[in-house]
Amino acid sequence: MTDAVVDVRELRKTFRVTEREEGLAATLRSFVKRHRKDVNAVAGITFRIGPGEVVGFLGPNGAGKTTTLKMLSGLLHPSAGEASVLGYVPWRRENAYLGRMTLLMGNRTQLVWDIPAADSFRVLQEIYRIPEGQFRSTVNELTELLELQELVHKPVRNLSLGERMKVEFAAGLIHSPSVAFLDEPTIGLDISMQVRIRRFVAEYNRRTGATVLLTSHYMDDVVALCKRVIVIHRGRLLYDGPLADLAERMAPYKIITATLHDGAASSTDLDAYGTVVSREEGRVTLRVDRQVAPERTGRLVNDLGSRLADISVEDPPIEEVIDRVFTSEQTTVSA
Amino acid sequence: MVRYVRLLQLFFRTELQYELEYRLNLVLEIIQTVVVTGTSVAAILVLFSYTTILNGWDLSAMLVLLGCFYLVQGFGELVLQPSFEKFMEHVRLGTLDFALLKPASAQFLVTVRNFQVVQLAQMGLGAIVVAVGLSRIPSIGLAEAIGFPIALLCGFGLIYALLLALSTFAFWFVRVDNLMALYWSFMDAGRFPVDVYPGWLRVTLSSAVPIGVAVTVPAQVIAGRLDPLGLGLLMLGTIAAFVLASWFWRLGLRSYTGASA
Repeated sequence: MTDAVVDVRELRKTFRVTEREEGLAATLRSFVKRHRKDVNAVAGITFRIGPGEVVGFLGPNGAGKTTTLKMLSGLLHPSAGEASVLGYVPWRRENAYLGRMTLLMGNRTQLVWDIPAADSFRVLQEIYRIPEGQFRSTVNELTELLELQELVHKPVRNLSLGERMKVEFAAGLIHSPSVAFLDEPTIGLDISMQVRIRRFVAEYNRRTGATVLLTSHYMDDVVALCKRVIVIHRGRLLYDGPLADLAERMAPYKIITATLHDGAASSTDLDAYGTVVSREEGRVTLRVDRQVAPERTGRLVNDLGSRLADISVEDPPIEEVIDRVFTSEQTTVSA
Repeated sequence: MVRYVRLLQLFFRTELQYELEYRLNLVLEIIQTVVVTGTSVAAILVLFSYTTILNGWDLSAMLVLLGCFYLVQGFGELVLQPSFEKFMEHVRLGTLDFALLKPASAQFLVTVRNFQVVQLAQMGLGAIVVAVGLSRIPSIGLAEAIGFPIALLCGFGLIYALLLALSTFAFWFVRVDNLMALYWSFMDAGRFPVDVYPGWLRVTLSSAVPIGVAVTVPAQVIAGRLDPLGLGLLMLGTIAAFVLASWFWRLGLRSYTGASA
């Protein structure tokens, strides 16, 4: 696959950090002599992303997601390994590359607080040398997609967090980049704003064919946007493949939920069918090994007969799968 | 190049809009500037009511010098101080990343980004004081007329280079506000010609803190006390300082982006 937009090979980043114990004495000691320790933020990861893909980049805090994004956007030099994005080596920071990519960070803003975003857009137009006609049509399109109408004329400081993020998106995409790195774009936003941002990213990807690599703590973001996920933990790649297969590979069990008519769930012994996870108001949730799930479900239906009001068999919630991955020591699984 | 000039205009305009929103503040700042400048002009007048010459500087030359001081200080406070303060904030908050991700000179985008437009008043008053001083000088030769603006521009360049070098330490130490504050307090010494100070202070004010050079030399040019060689050296020195400071800044930037690792 030579047409990969993002091509990462054995990328590594080792940080040298200063360590010190707590307490004043230790602080004074470390003021004079520092103990340094190497931390492998990214410990050799390899993946490729094709044009127009929207890929979710998952991992707990400190997994190396942001470090990877910073290397791919050219802000950090790797300690070892190679990467190419759109055919450029990101950390050379060639203007030709910078003009075709964007990095959006949910917890940082590039907009100037005291002035309306419209003024910042003009500055960006000049920086990216966007012709007037293209600038107008891009701003109009982003205004329509993100419902920015009044927002861009108010000083940024007067906007709510959600409104600011929408304007931030517009600023980050004003030069119509081919590649977008989104680092926690929905962090701190309320549910309805999260949904709108998600819809926007999906629609933007559909309209422009831009390649998107997205990190998020909210699994809903990933489920709504990404067919493919890359999971990293402690700087190593744990999984790279379809989101749909993640549960199957990472969580070898299913969740059976049975609702009973008589509400006598608490008195019914269902331990024989699987591990009882919870019982509440006539509803019992069981965890059952993936292989035996169909058979156990059949038995449950037979044995409970007419007492059964409803039964469902599902993959465990994606959060649970991810959590399982991160709390256990798994070896690399690649699809 | 044209793009950078247009960017500069945009930066200036947006900041102007912002300051115009706070009219009262603007008026008070202008009043303060007038009072401060007026007081120091008065001090010079009082001084020269007792003497006609101060270490070879007469009243006209002193007025030109004081005007140059306000021009240079005004320039520093107009664009350099606000921009460099913002730069250190960017380093602290990590928002410097955004400047580094732009297809344009990061040094430009950061170091001349912010304006305190009201400081134009200080520069304007400085220009008036210079003009009054000049009007008292019977004749100004062509060489002086050409040399003066060149020397003044070199002064701006020197101050820029010094602040750039100082602020670069923010890449390693994050907080260098005190270093900058120290600089601004030295700045005040520039309102008198460097040659009235004792040797050690004169050397400091001409080298480590080039405010002495930046202010005194243009005034010396007008007073006909600087030869072409001196002016040439000043120009060379300014270019060297600018190149060196820019190199140092890029070095700091490399450590920020971890290029050394």
